[in-house]
Amino acid sequence: MKKLPSGAKRIVLDALFAAVALSLFVIELMIPLSVGIPGVKLGLANIVTVVAVFLLSPVDAAGILYTRILLGGVFSGQAMALLYSLAGGTLCFIATLVLKRFVTEKQIWAVSVIGSLAHNLGQTLVAAAVLRTGAVFLYLPVLFIAGILAGLFTGVSAQILVSRLGGVFRARYENIYGRGNGR
Amino acid sequence: MKTTVLQKNIFWIILFAALLLLSAAALLALKLFPPRGTVAKLYQSGSLIRSIDLSHVEEPYEFTVTSPLGENTVRVEPGRIRVVSADCPDGVCVNMGWLSFAPIVCLPHEFMILTDRSPGTAADAGMPDGTAG
Repeated sequence: MKKLPSGAKRIVLDALFAAVALSLFVIELMIPLSVGIPGVKLGLANIVTVVAVFLLSPVDAAGILYTRILLGGVFSGQAMALLYSLAGGTLCFIATLVLKRFVTEKQIWAVSVIGSLAHNLGQTLVAAAVLRTGAVFLYLPVLFIAGILAGLFTGVSAQILVSRLGGVFRARYENIYGRGNGR
Repeated sequence: MKTTVLQKNIFWIILFAALLLLSAAALLALKLFPPRGTVAKLYQSGSLIRSIDLSHVEEPYEFTVTSPLGENTVRVEPGRIRVVSADCPDGVCVNMGWLSFAPIVCLPHEFMILTDRSPGTAADAGMPDGTAG
């Protein structure tokens, strides 16, 4: 059973994750992926979300995710996009959490693909509500194709990260933080 | 659970391949049989603001739709319509090009162009529309 750090060390660890996620998010904004459809993106920040779900507790992962979404909205200066990010991110997060129970660490790539599709679905649902039309669902085929491909890329990255970091977590935190916190 | 890791991965691979094929097929079907009529309907924040019969357009013209959220400049030509410029941060609506089977959408401005055979909108369901021909 992994012992996770608590207290100040936990905050620092989560903040580090959030900082990485935020950086990835901002960097990705600078990549001009001007396909003519809203919502097509790589979703690099989701790599961090997936890694956090598999290596940390759900509460930590949630904190990292929503910190990144909120600050990302502030940094990118688009308030409207915040609503879509929240919807997509939440749906993706829930899907990732649920799937974690059914897969081993060798299927993290697949979890990320599903998460990517969930993200697109969430954004489309919000768009349908805002514009009050079902016509936006016509974009789902394109979004799914892009989502599967992007999810594959981020998923493989996340899986590699988890396999590399997992050892560090298990070794370090049980020895250092587990003892240091006395319980 | 007796399934091996490889078997589990194969399950996912097949699932995603199927999804990809389905999506590609759906896309192809939409391109070949676009649910598109000749009337373009412009919506601002959920309400129909303008209805243009593209088949009756003789000369190209442009106009700008202004709302508290921003501006979108629309260009109408015989048989087609698009957004040529907008002051929204992403400019996706401009990149969408000419209206085809899927709506042209400017999410930041809640502005949208549909065709009259698109899946229904709330605005069509009995709400008063400000049609300006």
